[in-house]
Amino acid sequence: MDIEVDGLRKTFRVPRREAGLRASLRSLVRRTTTEVVAVDAVSFSVEPGEVVGFLGPNGAGKTTTLKMLSGLLFPGSGTVRVLGHVPSRREHDFLRRITLVMGNRNQLQWDLPALDSYEMNRAIYRIPAPDFRRVRDELVELLDLGDQVRKPVRQLSLGERMKAEIVGALLHSPQVLFLDEPTIGLDVTMQKRIRAFLAEYNSRHGATVLLTSHYMADVQALCKRVVVIDAGRILYDGSLRTLSARYSQRQTITATVADRAGLAGLGELVSVDGDRVTLRVDKERSAAVVAALLGHGVTDLTIEDPPVEDVIEQVFAS
Amino acid sequence: MTALRLAGTFLRIGILNELQYRVNLVFSLVQSAIAVGTSLAVLALVFGNTDSLRGWSAGELLVVMGVHVLVGGLIRSVIQPNMQQLMEDIQRGTLDFVLTKPADGQLLVSVRRVQIWQAVDILVGAALVVVAVVRLPATPGVLDVLAFAAALALGAVSIYCFWLLLTTLAFWVTRLDPLVELFEGMYQAGRWPVSVYPGWLRIGFTVLVPLAFAVTVPASALTGRSTGWLLLGSVAFTVALATVTRLAWRHALRRYSGASA
Repeated sequence: MDIEVDGLRKTFRVPRREAGLRASLRSLVRRTTTEVVAVDAVSFSVEPGEVVGFLGPNGAGKTTTLKMLSGLLFPGSGTVRVLGHVPSRREHDFLRRITLVMGNRNQLQWDLPALDSYEMNRAIYRIPAPDFRRVRDELVELLDLGDQVRKPVRQLSLGERMKAEIVGALLHSPQVLFLDEPTIGLDVTMQKRIRAFLAEYNSRHGATVLLTSHYMADVQALCKRVVVIDAGRILYDGSLRTLSARYSQRQTITATVADRAGLAGLGELVSVDGDRVTLRVDKERSAAVVAALLGHGVTDLTIEDPPVEDVIEQVFAS
Repeated sequence: MTALRLAGTFLRIGILNELQYRVNLVFSLVQSAIAVGTSLAVLALVFGNTDSLRGWSAGELLVVMGVHVLVGGLIRSVIQPNMQQLMEDIQRGTLDFVLTKPADGQLLVSVRRVQIWQAVDILVGAALVVVAVVRLPATPGVLDVLAFAAALALGAVSIYCFWLLLTTLAFWVTRLDPLVELFEGMYQAGRWPVSVYPGWLRIGFTVLVPLAFAVTVPASALTGRSTGWLLLGSVAFTVALATVTRLAWRHALRRYSGASA
């Protein structure tokens, strides 16, 4: 196992005060705090080479968990092991084998070309020069960065900057990648580019990846397995396909029919466009509905599971 | 050894980049000229009325001024930029990237940035010291010069520790800019030997803001003042301050990662 998490819990104390002047003054003297549970009884494990998607709404505890896994936060209770190390000890042997990418924060020096920041990372990780050049050039080529790495980072577009960040984070060929919203704020093309890169990188190097993202497309493209977390607790841990099967009781049937009479009785009629009709029906009834549709002169018919977004929404709603 | 190599790489990259911005050299030169000009004017004003200030002659005070400019250049070129960046990193959460690197965090945050043009003041200060020393009636011997170098190095370490301690407060306090300005104001007081100040201020400038060890002690070595004990004191003080700084840094990191909460 590359990552083992057992009974992980983390709470934060946050100052609390009522609105208004009097309450503000009172809080100067006596500060009241409330304990907020960010992560509660989280357990899971990740095999070497696995790509796991970490899903959940804002404030679900994804980043907190990721920070405990990368050694930035001490766990409140429970145990964490990554590559056999206890992350919070921040041993150099451990840190050399992991990497952290945060979509909304930069590690590259703003005023310097990315190449210089890479050189700094080479010094920090003590990467031998030939290895460094080979890995760097491979990454720059895979991400199609070209001469962008010679410009000061502040002159790069958001997407280029993210690509440059990823190169910087992978120079030391880490075994475990923690990616926190790596595609946040990027346009669709750039998201696809980074997704394709991550998939390629994982298959080439067999790295273990734990990824959080708001974009379902990221998760669908990269992760066979997802861990859904909400309010600090794991709601689901398993394959993306099973998730859809478990949480979506409805399917969408789209058909081209000759005779549209009496269709509304079969299920929820979503749309009618000429002779194309779209119905939403309970899963266990879809076979019966299809059979019934055949009596209406069907020429074309598709049955679809709902989009993952809707499924996730279902998971959080239940 | 690895620490030195790491620092070397960082400084080299920083310097190479800064060299592109030559306009900054002009700014630094102008800034330096104004600062030195003002100081000289004040010095002339004071010595228009008296021959000595608490036992320091005009020539000797020029040495103090030179050291003050030199150390100021060191602060502005290396110490301050790094501490500024550390403050920003703490506020923005980008310190996470420093803490996930397999290298000593304190070392990393101390060598990441350099504003090489500000180092003009180091040269100007050194030149001032040389000019002032040559004009002194008694030329310092080799031992004095060595004592000066040692005191200057210790003083630089003290000032660095003091700054890091100050910056460490950013883990608790969100806005530190006023503190930084306060320090700059106090540093201006270092252009005079600490012995010209009344007792309580002298103690403050020695122990709280290590102006005495950074400026006055090195200058004393060049102006024929007995420095044996002062130097020993400087060693003891620097070691103590460095230890306290290290502990404070560790403590701050533990707090940052929620270990002490």
